[in-house]
Amino acid sequence: MSSIFIRTTTTFVALMFFATAAFAAGSSSKPASDTRPGVAEYNAGVKLMKQDKFAAAQSKFEAALAKNPDMAEAHNNLGYSMRKQGSANYAEALRQYDRAIELKGDLAEAYMYRGVLHMLMGNEAKALEDHRALTGMNRQLADALQAAIASGEEPDGLEGLAKAW
Amino acid sequence: MVRAPALAAAVLMLLAVACDTGQPRRERTDRDPTAGFVWQLPPGFPIPRVPPDNPMTPVKVALGRRLFHDPRLSGDGTVACASCHDPARAYTDGRARAMGIRGNIHPRSAMSLTNVAYNATLGWDDPALTRLEDQARVPLFNTQPPEMGVANREDDVMKRFKDDSQYRALFLEAFPEDQDPLTMRNVTYALAAFERTLTSGNSLYDRWAYGGEADALDPDERAGARLFFSRRLNCFRCHAGFNFSGPVVYEGSAEPAARFHNTGLYNEDGRGAYPAPNTGVHRHSGRDADMGQFRAPTLRNIALTAPYMHDGSLPTLGAVLEHYAAGGRARYSSPHSGTFPAGAATDPLVAGFVLTPEERGQLVAFLQTLTDASFVRESLENIP
Repeated sequence: MSSIFIRTTTTFVALMFFATAAFAAGSSSKPASDTRPGVAEYNAGVKLMKQDKFAAAQSKFEAALAKNPDMAEAHNNLGYSMRKQGSANYAEALRQYDRAIELKGDLAEAYMYRGVLHMLMGNEAKALEDHRALTGMNRQLADALQAAIASGEEPDGLEGLAKAW
Repeated sequence: MVRAPALAAAVLMLLAVACDTGQPRRERTDRDPTAGFVWQLPPGFPIPRVPPDNPMTPVKVALGRRLFHDPRLSGDGTVACASCHDPARAYTDGRARAMGIRGNIHPRSAMSLTNVAYNATLGWDDPALTRLEDQARVPLFNTQPPEMGVANREDDVMKRFKDDSQYRALFLEAFPEDQDPLTMRNVTYALAAFERTLTSGNSLYDRWAYGGEADALDPDERAGARLFFSRRLNCFRCHAGFNFSGPVVYEGSAEPAARFHNTGLYNEDGRGAYPAPNTGVHRHSGRDADMGQFRAPTLRNIALTAPYMHDGSLPTLGAVLEHYAAGGRARYSSPHSGTFPAGAATDPLVAGFVLTPEERGQLVAFLQTLTDASFVRESLENIP
């Protein structure tokens, strides 16, 4: 494989990654300030999650939820951090995504994460349900989820969907 | 004796009918807040973007549809838009290269108009062509070669419509703000409005992806979808998103960067040159880096639009797969194939892959699930 190919592919993937992250960042309203309970722990969790330190990130998101049990974003990222630690955590990760959506029905990132998890768990029909819901919220995420479900492959850069405040 | 084109059209119709499960198009209606126009859109499809100076109205769409199918809109009255964009073939013509008035052969293939409203750029290779209103002028006024031959005969053409009471009424109703609505400008605006309604999203694949029919695809078709969207083949990187195409625009979308690709179809000089005049974006920019760069068209209804590529040089979907599997046809068919500099001109995503015969069949089966028979049927039923 040529170095030109690697460089160009890397650039393309990076562009797709940042474009998706930037778009996703606009799909959820930002709190008025960072003083809400649990936000500091949540932000620390996002930082660890983006470094692929999922067990440490899980602890931070759990700490955030201990202070603020209704923080939908923390439930969502807790689900992702748990899922990335292995299939034994899938059932609990799914409960976290469900709770995130229950708390915030328009959290597009949660539909994306949950759709991918349904796909990994072999629940294609449920994954497609999340895809359909996502088409009305975030077209680019919906297309990315469609590709993931169709291929059975996890999309690149999902951790880029996590927002810090 | 049955003429070959008529026979081919009949076969296509039979194929379309054979693939049509009889299910009505499942559409949702969306109201354009600026004009009160009610879109008939497939589930999951966004609202097309409409220029502020050409709001959608039902009568304008009806006028555009009538003009689209009317050969009087050509210089000598022999060629309609629909001559090259035949609804029976998902708005293509079955030819390798399109044919205009007096048998003039165009350098490139007629493009499908399936979901043309969503294309961020129009035509095969022009980054600056972004509005359907402007695109309609290309075949009307092109002289190299003449396609519809309206150049220098504009008054003659418009007189045909001015002399027709039905057209006069339609123009008046479609453009009520104009004192003299029978103009070529309004012809192109009506054509654009009609073309924006050509949305197709009722294929087998859509029933699986959007329709809640988890069993809509048979095992081979499902396996083909898995291949299409895999990192191994990367087809979906260029034929992307809900339209299986290059960049799209729609109401509320971001402004995507235009994307064009050199797929390694030619290598005329050992450095990746394409034969003139089909040098892609290069023919507009003159830049060597743009050599052979063409837009990735939609793959929706792709089974109906053979032959393939910008010059129709690949006759079948199987031949297209062979081209991409090789990392570009030039690697095996060009006189310079031995000297083809890997990665020099060809898009790095066209890196080649190996398919078993079974996988090849599955991929073709998947591509065939993108056919929307109801789109073809209703397009034919709605011809004025």
